[in-house]
Amino acid sequence: MHLKKITLSLVAAAVATVFAGCQATAAKHEGAAAPTKMASAQMAMTPSGPPPLAPLGDAPIPPDNKLTPAKVELGKLLFFDPRVGGDASTGCSTCHEPEQGWAWAEDFSRGYPGTVHWRNSQSIINSAYFPRQFWAGSASSNEKQAKSAAKGGVAGNGEDDIMEARLALIPEYRKRFKEVFGTEWPIIDDVWHAIAAFERTMNTTGEHEVPLDKYLKGDKGALSEEQVRGMALFNGKAGCINCHNGELTSDTDYHNIGVPPNKRWEEDGLAQITFRFEQYAKGQTEEGYRNAKSDWGFYYRSKNKWDKGKFRTAPLRYIAYTAPYMHNGVFYTLEEVVDFYNRGGFDEEGRTTLFPETKSSLIKPLGLSDQEKEDLVAFLEAFSGPEIEMEKPEQPPYAPLFTMADLKAAQEAK
Amino acid sequence: MGARVTTGRTLLAAVMGFGVALSAQAAEYPDIGPLPQLKIDKAKAELGKRLFFDKRLSGDAAVSCATCHVPEKGYASEEALSPGYPGNGHFRNASSLVNVAHRKVWNWDGRIGTNLNDMTREMLTEDYTMNMDMRIMQERVKQDPLYVKMFKDAGYGEPSNGSVRKAIPEYLKTLTSANAPFDTGKMSASAKRGMKLFKGKAGCIQCHNGPMMTDQKAHNTGVPENFDVFMDPMNHQAFIAFTMFQGIPNYMNLKRDPGYFNVTLLNEDMGKFLTPSLREVKYSAPYMHNGMIKTLAGVVDFYNQGGGKDSNKSKLLKPLKLSGKEKKDLVAFLEALSGDKLTSDKHVWKQPYPSEYEAIANWTEVRN
Ligand code: HEC
Ligand code: HEC
Ligand code: HEC
Ligand code: HEC
Repeated sequence: MHLKKITLSLVAAAVATVFAGCQATAAKHEGAAAPTKMASAQMAMTPSGPPPLAPLGDAPIPPDNKLTPAKVELGKLLFFDPRVGGDASTGCSTCHEPEQGWAWAEDFSRGYPGTVHWRNSQSIINSAYFPRQFWAGSASSNEKQAKSAAKGGVAGNGEDDIMEARLALIPEYRKRFKEVFGTEWPIIDDVWHAIAAFERTMNTTGEHEVPLDKYLKGDKGALSEEQVRGMALFNGKAGCINCHNGELTSDTDYHNIGVPPNKRWEEDGLAQITFRFEQYAKGQTEEGYRNAKSDWGFYYRSKNKWDKGKFRTAPLRYIAYTAPYMHNGVFYTLEEVVDFYNRGGFDEEGRTTLFPETKSSLIKPLGLSDQEKEDLVAFLEAFSGPEIEMEKPEQPPYAPLFTMADLKAAQEAK
Repeated sequence: MGARVTTGRTLLAAVMGFGVALSAQAAEYPDIGPLPQLKIDKAKAELGKRLFFDKRLSGDAAVSCATCHVPEKGYASEEALSPGYPGNGHFRNASSLVNVAHRKVWNWDGRIGTNLNDMTREMLTEDYTMNMDMRIMQERVKQDPLYVKMFKDAGYGEPSNGSVRKAIPEYLKTLTSANAPFDTGKMSASAKRGMKLFKGKAGCIQCHNGPMMTDQKAHNTGVPENFDVFMDPMNHQAFIAFTMFQGIPNYMNLKRDPGYFNVTLLNEDMGKFLTPSLREVKYSAPYMHNGMIKTLAGVVDFYNQGGGKDSNKSKLLKPLKLSGKEKKDLVAFLEALSGDKLTSDKHVWKQPYPSEYEAIANWTEVRN
């Protein structure tokens, strides 16, 4: 049992808010001080403009969680094991389904049973490259991300003690944790280490390299003519490169591009429940909780009003498999996304963000012709290569820890 | 949550201080007798009733309080070991909740000694009971128009997780013995003889005394372990999570339920459990903290042989040498402590719950 489950009074929540705000600021400095090597190199090459698109290199591996084949294999088992969660029904792969782009193909992700999520499920593919994870960057590593996903009330809803207890009763896990981490019993923090190690291997490199990266490495045949024209628009007239740039196709910064709130919040009672819960969970003030009618995004971390409605620039590799798009999944096709940008951040009904005052000045009507829009969509398709498939591993079974003889002897000794 | 244990420890110690001066003579034990009346707020209790039977109060909306505390079974469970939250089992028998509001200390090991509000919170949030994030629970309740009205009518205003934890205990106060032959004076001759044995030769009164028939103290009666706790990994995982969280030393190797040791961490308290109430006991088989005894006759046999085997067993338990007839009389008395089943809609919420949450209309216009 854990304290998080006891609702803070709103006053206490407001205090917590200030605290969370400090943390976020500190974390932001951290992020800014350590850009990826590649990105800083490019920054130096083009001091005036945004860094150009560059092929994806190797995923950064933190020194305190080295990759070994045994650890990655263990992480894979855990990623696919729903017993890492509250009622043993909802594990990582439940919402990051390999056949749905390692994400979930609905606007809002499916939730823990009895709930629905309030954001779109992100693909785990290439997630390891990001200094901060989640749509609004609330986790600072794959390790921390995994922990909060497994425990969050509308995600895994698991508690450390029960998850650790389960693993201890699965002989296969005892053996593997001992091999990999040297502990007698599986320790919950090592679950996050192993899962993160597995995720760091789930990238669009090697055999899963995307056409764009082949092209950028010199294979001029990798893109069609149409795609090459689209690339010119991406880098020029359409201005996508301003934010989707460098090795990650993302500046890893936060912007309000005008995505409108998902209408499901007006129509779906279950979604309304989660919406209000998230205001609590993310440390809103009483006023914020009462008034919020859309996802405030990066604001929940920074608590600066100019950050309302900002989200992390989403990476573009592998998106052919991860529809729908945006933090709330309001667009189902890349055509819709391009139309949205072409209108200057409005959907087809003219809806936009509830925070026009924080909207990026980089987002304005683009005046693209139909042909140009097609070319741009064609280019967006070049960010995806072969689908990353994986057979789901079998769940290792439970087994009793003691024998009847052990128990009888203990009974006799009482 | 060290605070929870400390609270339990302090309060239980206070309750226990009470009995120490009493001598071993039956006459000096608080007499068994009718229960005092409890004042009940009707609207709050009615709300609590709806909450008690509502599965939406658990994390995955699959279990309600009544899943384990079944009205037909004296608000206990008919299984030796309680069901668990999905994906889990349990390591103890689900306690009967009839007359639970008359207790001062709760759980078989007495780890909660504050109030039923805390007890309710524990049931709602514990991984292997309801695994509920109470912030989600609060928003679910707010999404149900009937709850919004009932909370208002009960004087709680807007639904909140805090008032859920007040309304359920108010409902628990309504679960009290009604028309037990013992209370109405309509006991059979056999039951009357049994009562005499209970207070005399059989010595039950030493622990089962006062109107609730419990001293609310912890004793070791030597009930054997239920090996299913350890042989079924579903139960064992709940046991491990519990002992890990409670900070019991060497919990991975533990092969017995530590009982009251959990509260004091003193070896002398190993294997002690709180004396349960005997009211309504007819309905709540199987018996003991782990359901190891199936019938009341079995319980009487157990005591007749002086309890079970444990080096730490209470000195109050000795072989009783009861005759066959005496044992029957004692069972008849135990049965006479049970009255009407609390299964009518006075105690049970029988209307269906909505299968979906209605959306709040004009969502963009109204305040959350
Ligand atoms: C109930 C569905 C659900 C479950 C279960 C779940 N996730 Fe997620 N995941 C999501 C959603 C939705 C997001 C985006 C949430 C946000 O931004 O607030 C996400 C985001 C992520 C991200 C961030 C990717 C990025 O680019 O920043 C990673 C990595 C991830 N999940 C991994 C995991 C792991 C590992 C587990 C298991 C421990 C897990 N998820 C369990 C739904 C889920
Ligand atoms: C001001 C910075 C900025 C510019 C300019 C920009 N984007 Fe984005 N892009 C973002 C952000 C931020 C998101 C995530 C927004 C959200 O989830 O609400 C995003 C999301 C996307 C997504 C959805 C990805 C997913 O996984 O859901 C696509 C596709 C996309 N952008 C393509 C483009 C294209 C094409 C252009 C140029 C026409 C462009 N972007 C211009 C910042 C920008
Ligand atoms: C999954 C099964 C389960 C569910 C659901 C459950 N309980 Fe329990 N309850 C138990 C078990 C088992 C015990 C005994 C626990 C122990 O002694 O450690 C218990 C003990 C109690 C006690 C203490 C009884 C005593 O005499 O000491 C109260 C009060 C109680 N439950 C109330 C509730 C309420 C109210 C709910 C719903 C909010 C609830 N329970 C839901 C299984 C359950
Ligand atoms: C030393 C104190 C003590 C004495 C004397 C004692 N009991 Fe108990 N009784 C307990 C305790 C403690 C438990 C719970 C034990 C456990 O769960 O492991 C219990 C449990 C019970 C139960 C099971 C109730 C339930 O809900 O599971 C019954 C019935 C019972 N006793 C009847 C009797 C009778 C009849 C006598 C006299 C023959 C008696 N007891 C004497 C302490 C005592």
